[in-house]
Amino acid sequence: MTRTDRRTFLHSSLGALGAVALTPSLAELAPLVRASAGLKVALFGAGRQGRMILQELSKIEGVEVVAVCDTDPGRLKKALRRVRGLKGYATHGELLEKEQGLQAAIVATPTHVHRGPAEDALAAGLHVYCEAPLASTAEDSAALAKAARASDRVFAVGYLARSNPIYKLARSFFRSGTLRDLVSLRAQDYEKSSWRQTAPDAAREKLLNWRLDPAFSLGLAGEKGAHQFDAYHWFLGRYPTAVRGSGSVRVHKDGREVADCVACDLAWEDGLHLSWQGTLGNSYDGRYEVYSGSMAAFKLAWTAGWLFKEADSPTQGWEVYANRQTFHNDQGITLIADATKLAAQGKLEDGVGLPNPPVHYGLANFIEACTDGAEVACGAEAAHRSTVVAVAAARAVREGAEVVIDPETFEVR
Amino acid sequence: MFQRFATHAMGTRFELVLEGEGEARARALAEGVWEELRECEARWSVFAAGSLLSKVNREAPSRPVAVDPETLALLEEALECWSATGGWFDPALGGEMARWGFRDGTAGEMAVELAAAATPRAGAPFVLDRAACSVAALRGALDLGAVAKGFALDLAGELLRDEGVGCALLHGGTSSVLALGAPGGAEGWSVALAEGSEAPRALLRDAALAVSCNSGRRKGADGHLLDPHSGRPTTHDALAAVVAGRASRADAWATALCARGEEAAASFIPGDLQVLLRPSLGGDAWRDLSTDHSPFHFPLPATTGIR
Repeated sequence: MTRTDRRTFLHSSLGALGAVALTPSLAELAPLVRASAGLKVALFGAGRQGRMILQELSKIEGVEVVAVCDTDPGRLKKALRRVRGLKGYATHGELLEKEQGLQAAIVATPTHVHRGPAEDALAAGLHVYCEAPLASTAEDSAALAKAARASDRVFAVGYLARSNPIYKLARSFFRSGTLRDLVSLRAQDYEKSSWRQTAPDAAREKLLNWRLDPAFSLGLAGEKGAHQFDAYHWFLGRYPTAVRGSGSVRVHKDGREVADCVACDLAWEDGLHLSWQGTLGNSYDGRYEVYSGSMAAFKLAWTAGWLFKEADSPTQGWEVYANRQTFHNDQGITLIADATKLAAQGKLEDGVGLPNPPVHYGLANFIEACTDGAEVACGAEAAHRSTVVAVAAARAVREGAEVVIDPETFEVR
Repeated sequence: MFQRFATHAMGTRFELVLEGEGEARARALAEGVWEELRECEARWSVFAAGSLLSKVNREAPSRPVAVDPETLALLEEALECWSATGGWFDPALGGEMARWGFRDGTAGEMAVELAAAATPRAGAPFVLDRAACSVAALRGALDLGAVAKGFALDLAGELLRDEGVGCALLHGGTSSVLALGAPGGAEGWSVALAEGSEAPRALLRDAALAVSCNSGRRKGADGHLLDPHSGRPTTHDALAAVVAGRASRADAWATALCARGEEAAASFIPGDLQVLLRPSLGGDAWRDLSTDHSPFHFPLPATTGIR
């Protein structure tokens, strides 16, 4: 099975005519272009996410990645092959000490080691982009958020729904009442992967496989679900009060303790529930969130999104011309950023899926915040609140119990 | 004991066969390879508007575009093969590929078609600045489909070797194959070149095989390969099998030889390659165009009618 991708959407998409009033800015979709001298950036962590960040930064003009660090020589070697003239270091401390003229750091280390490098970068006067979740404990998360608040530097966090053009568009519909009364929330993150990395020795294996180490890992709910939970927080403007969880090792019976099949139920105080499932055993339908309301539903899948309307939902003029896709018995209106402009160019179908992966838009927002003072899509305090939920969800899964979230823990003091 | 893993990437199905690895390690090795392939796809896909290749196609006809060192190495390989094959392998046929309907329609493709239409197709496909790590003066639009899959296999092979893997077979869509070592007790990995028990086989040990065949994706009665010199689909239905040290080199040469078809001659082929050519689909005559047979990777001439 493959994840639904842009080409699949294009194969199955129906007509695309005329102007459609789904219009955030086309500028968000294009790689950021700026004429000013390059922002000198260092990357902390050259694992899979770090390399993806290098790739996306290469598309953003006005950014120069000058140095990278990773404690694993193999990963460092791979990263150095991806950017010409990149300098490599084993640790972020050595990098900060030796690199002159740095302006920003991107922290893509394992979750439980975000705090130290991010705080050190802030202390060195650098703008910081930190991967999400912010930390693996609520205490580290709060401490890092506090350090960010005390700094005059830009601090952005990679909860990527908030910078995603399709999600921003969907949220504008959501906030204007398109769904009417919210009925249910459900989401999944399905992937076929062992999460295991090869390593030359036992010590390195333990380090590289931190996601399988119950002492550090937030598991599927905390590492992956967290991004989807944050999307709901951002749409709703409020946070759950409790989370129930369960999980088991059903597929990768290699001695691991971290569950590869997980279910969570997040509850809000008004009785609203989010049902979330994650697995490492199956990839069907990948990662998406559904928001069901009494008049319509959204399905958002990170690089594409759709609006499904009830028959008794009021029809807007633009819907007549909207791009639609069929899903079994339903037709979804594709959520296309800057649809009017694309329609005018006769390229509406091109907008069905995002041209870049979600991290591109998070990085572009960060760079724009550093260079032009743009508002950060996800700042430290919002990220801290979502990290608190992620930590609670991870604990609920680990304990197979309900965890009540103390609202006090959302505060950064 | 063999362990087999598969994934979809770069528009095809990749399969990895390992021998002698523990189950958890084998799966982790496979996932490391899949990661490598997806990173290649993200950079070199002509179908993704956000890929580096799409950026090169948009901008390199008019200005230099910086690329990463691995992409530079891929482009160097493509340029070298273009030159050595006398242009029978041409990485800048993206516009023509789109125009002839060898891809489904997307904006990226329309863009490359326009780019190709606007630029005369003559001379070198592009110019590389190795010091600046950039590509410029792009003639037409790049489509690296006939070399990038092999290049990705080479990177994956390097990754496996770095991990200490001595025995593995990795293929993409069965047309590009990379062999590391040989399975226990065998001289090499035995790979059939076509269907049927009489089809010749390649015996691979630390070598790569590419098979190019002018069938499959068809546009009307024509094959899916373009004659780079005429810019039109080739009309013959040759099959070329090439064994080389690198999968990217095997890929590019197999495409060139298949496009050239019956006219391909041994004098045209570098000594480091071993080549079998079947000039037509209906015929059963396989021509051995290799000049160096040591070690010979197509070892069954007596039973398969190779001449």
